[in-house]
Amino acid sequence: MPYARLALVAVLPVIASAALYSFSRKTALGRLGKWPQQILYGLVFGVLAIFGTEFGVPISGAIINARDAAPLSAGLIFGAPAGIIAGLIGGVERWLAVYWGAGAKTQLACSAATVIAGFFGAALRKWMFDDKKPAWFYGFAAGLVMEVLHMLMIFFTNMDDVQTAFIYVQSCSVPMILTNSLSVMFAVLAVSILGKEKLRPKNEHKKLSQSFSRWLLLVVLMAFSITSFFTYVLQTRFTDRNSEALLRLNIADVKADIEDASDDNLLRLTRGVAKVLNDAEMITDELLVRISSLSGNDFSEINVIDKRGIITQSTNPAYIGFDMSVGEQSGEFMALLGGTDELVQGYQPISKDGTYMKYAGVALTGRGFVQVGYNAERFQQDIDGRVTGATRNRHVGESGFIIIAGDDWNIVSDPHNKEGQNLDRTGIWIDRATMPEYTRFTSSVYGQDSYFMYALTEGYYIIAVEPVSEVLFSRDLSVYVTVFMEILVFAMLFVLVYFLVKKLVVENIQKINTTLSEITGGNLDVSVDVRTNEEFVSLSDDINTTVVTLKGYIAEAAARIDKELEVAKIIQSSSLPSVFPPYPDRADFDIFAIMDTAKEVGGDFYDFYLLDANRLAFLVADVSGKGITAAMFMMKAKTLIKSYADKEGDVAEILRMTNEALCEGNDAEMFVTCWMGILDFDRNTVAFANAGHNPPLVRRRNGTFEYFKSSPGFVLGGLEGIRYRRGELALDPGDEIFLYTDGVTEATNAQNELYGDSRLRRILNTLGDASADETCRAVKADVDRFVGKAPQFDDITMLHLKLMPKNRITLKPTEESMAEAAAFVENALVYSGVPKKIISKMNIAVDEIYSNIIRYSGAEEADIECAVSDGKILLIFRDNGRPYNPTEKPDPNLTLSAEERDIGGLGFFMVKKIMDSVVYTYREGLNHLTLTKRYTE
Amino acid sequence: MKINSILNGKSLTIALEGRLDTTTAPHLEAELKQSLEGITELAFDLTALEYSSSAGLRVLLFAQKTMNRHGRMAVRGANETVMEVFEVTGFADILSIE
Repeated sequence: MPYARLALVAVLPVIASAALYSFSRKTALGRLGKWPQQILYGLVFGVLAIFGTEFGVPISGAIINARDAAPLSAGLIFGAPAGIIAGLIGGVERWLAVYWGAGAKTQLACSAATVIAGFFGAALRKWMFDDKKPAWFYGFAAGLVMEVLHMLMIFFTNMDDVQTAFIYVQSCSVPMILTNSLSVMFAVLAVSILGKEKLRPKNEHKKLSQSFSRWLLLVVLMAFSITSFFTYVLQTRFTDRNSEALLRLNIADVKADIEDASDDNLLRLTRGVAKVLNDAEMITDELLVRISSLSGNDFSEINVIDKRGIITQSTNPAYIGFDMSVGEQSGEFMALLGGTDELVQGYQPISKDGTYMKYAGVALTGRGFVQVGYNAERFQQDIDGRVTGATRNRHVGESGFIIIAGDDWNIVSDPHNKEGQNLDRTGIWIDRATMPEYTRFTSSVYGQDSYFMYALTEGYYIIAVEPVSEVLFSRDLSVYVTVFMEILVFAMLFVLVYFLVKKLVVENIQKINTTLSEITGGNLDVSVDVRTNEEFVSLSDDINTTVVTLKGYIAEAAARIDKELEVAKIIQSSSLPSVFPPYPDRADFDIFAIMDTAKEVGGDFYDFYLLDANRLAFLVADVSGKGITAAMFMMKAKTLIKSYADKEGDVAEILRMTNEALCEGNDAEMFVTCWMGILDFDRNTVAFANAGHNPPLVRRRNGTFEYFKSSPGFVLGGLEGIRYRRGELALDPGDEIFLYTDGVTEATNAQNELYGDSRLRRILNTLGDASADETCRAVKADVDRFVGKAPQFDDITMLHLKLMPKNRITLKPTEESMAEAAAFVENALVYSGVPKKIISKMNIAVDEIYSNIIRYSGAEEADIECAVSDGKILLIFRDNGRPYNPTEKPDPNLTLSAEERDIGGLGFFMVKKIMDSVVYTYREGLNHLTLTKRYTE
Repeated sequence: MKINSILNGKSLTIALEGRLDTTTAPHLEAELKQSLEGITELAFDLTALEYSSSAGLRVLLFAQKTMNRHGRMAVRGANETVMEVFEVTGFADILSIE
């Protein structure tokens, strides 16, 4: 029943831990601040500690209790402050509990132990378990160590009464250690289960600290077992020896006392005899008999020995003539002839008749010596008085004693007042045949298990007795203290090694690992710097050196690759038309394109070329993938399209043939999307074909950009045998078409939004009549603004083609057409809002050039084309007359006087001077003269 | 182009209005051939002249050469465009421009 109560008290911390843990997770409790929570936990467990004190089980004057479990659990599971608070509450209450009945002897030890339990749990949690709840087996170990400490404290606070303290400890140590350890263990376990932790983490690779602590624990347990075993064995042997020595020593003392007494007695008598003989004029046998018969001198025999060692006179005539030196026993007396005055021998059997005798001898003046012999009866009668009660007050150890009994087992001395009784009444039985002297035997003496040992002397049994319990007490005390100390020492050792391993090895390895994972993650700029001991310094240095070397190699390789990619980029971009304006003598259209690759080389491309004076091919394409492979595929596709376009007029057929060629040996599984158009300037139509590409935007003169959607064909290079549909799109002067790749519409900003079709259309429609160049740059700028700092993922490519409003007149070059030509140009310029002064200059140019055509070219047909855009006037004269390049003509000499001047050649010279550029070409049977003039409004 | 000739004794002032180019230069040339006879002072008022092409310059050079023989010739009121033409062609050095 009392033990059931103890068990119940021990279970309380388990229940409280589980309950508080659950509440803190599921109720408002968990939302309290740290300190209110800690104080609450401290109070609850403090109360549980009080329960532990008040509901303990009294045993042999001590109380078995489960007090320490509460603060220890609080500290380990809930936090350092909670543990300390609970420990203080429990400790103070235990101190005061003395006033209402708790054990006063253990007041200090128990109070202090409870406070320490709180601090101990707090310290373990904080420093050993990184402020986390430990595993359940550590809970058990903590409880064990705590209670062992508690027991030792009981010892050390009761040094003046070790026996009583030992009795406490002996009776309560095992139950208390078990109760408290299990209580803490189950409390931790309960919380672990509620927290759904794995009780046995099944890692394939154990943590270093786990392996260490496991082996350490194993070794510590083994060392503990071995030392405990040896302590036990050693202490048992040692106390056995001690108790034997104690018994033997006591027997020896008593024996010596008895022997001394008998020796003194006989010597005294013998000296008396010697005095009489020395005084006698003559020694006769009769004299000896007379002396022997004197009162008090009840000797067995008196012998007088002469200087030769021969018995000359004796009370026993049979001895006369006996040579003393012959017998072993008698021979000892020969020493009296060599200067020794006195000699006494022990009580011993005499060989002659087997009776026990005791002899003493004293030297006589001038003549040999006298020997006196006692027999047993005479001797006993003589010393009984001295022996009786001699050991009554003698102690062997603390509660052992000495019994002296006569040869006849009659007790003559015993502290229990049993003199006169038979020895067997005490419980001792001596069989001299089987039980040698000075050997320890066990028997129940006076009802108590005891060790005893005996010795015989002068006809007495001297028996020393010591209770077994007294002998074992010192052994048990030693074993308990040693085992407790060992537990403490090994616990400290365990913690120390655990800490050292953690501090010196695990933490450093973790540090190095953290840095290494940063390095393997790509950051080569970090360095490892663990300098706690030589091994780590050298490891750190090695890693750093490796990283530096690696960095060097990477930089070298990167530089090489960069260089190669740079070259590849140059090759790639140089393969696209990049001189703008590409056709300075064509005023009827304006074209511009840009490509911005995401990587050094990309897979996008654009292209345009005049198939003849009347047809312009233009396209935008996007190769799947990026990098070198895409770039190479792009070159192939571009070259194929161009070479087929040179031979084949049908745009659909161009793409079909390109597709077939790309499919051949396309192991890389790459493909290209492409929108290609061929603009016919005569018919003002674009024949187009679409291989899976985004729809272009088309703007009619003075209208807005709209997507021009047509059902696209399959991508190029994807599948053999694909046919493409040829579409037609009317594109009149003043109309525009804008091609792009999905790098534009799918440009992504930091918020992961796409630039999108509508944004593209919107920005295009804000640009009005901007030139192709301006349009492309404005769109690119808008995309860049949208993307912001987000990285560019895809190549951005666009192409803008503008058909200029028609400003062209064809004339028969006659004098009459002069005015028509001048009027045509002037009207076009006025229409475009060109300033009057500039118009004057243009008029001069028309006048000069066209009049020359009329007069000198012999042409049958001439045309004039005039285009104005962006402050730039383009004026082109074509005629089918004789090829004549006026720019090759030398300039006139302007320094001549009026008389010497020739007016010839001055006209063209003036044109050159007032225009920004004059370019002559002859092609397709026509003289082309292109004039440009820039102006500001 | 309009040609306004104002004759004052032996001095003749010709005001040109409009454009002096391939089409109009022959008219001026014809006018000069008629009226330069006996003139010792010839002045061109170019205030209203928009521009002149080389055809016009040719006529002006003819006039200058003629006047070099019996008198003098002056040009005035030339606008920016006309002046530029005179300058690039070296006429600015030949003509006396007021």
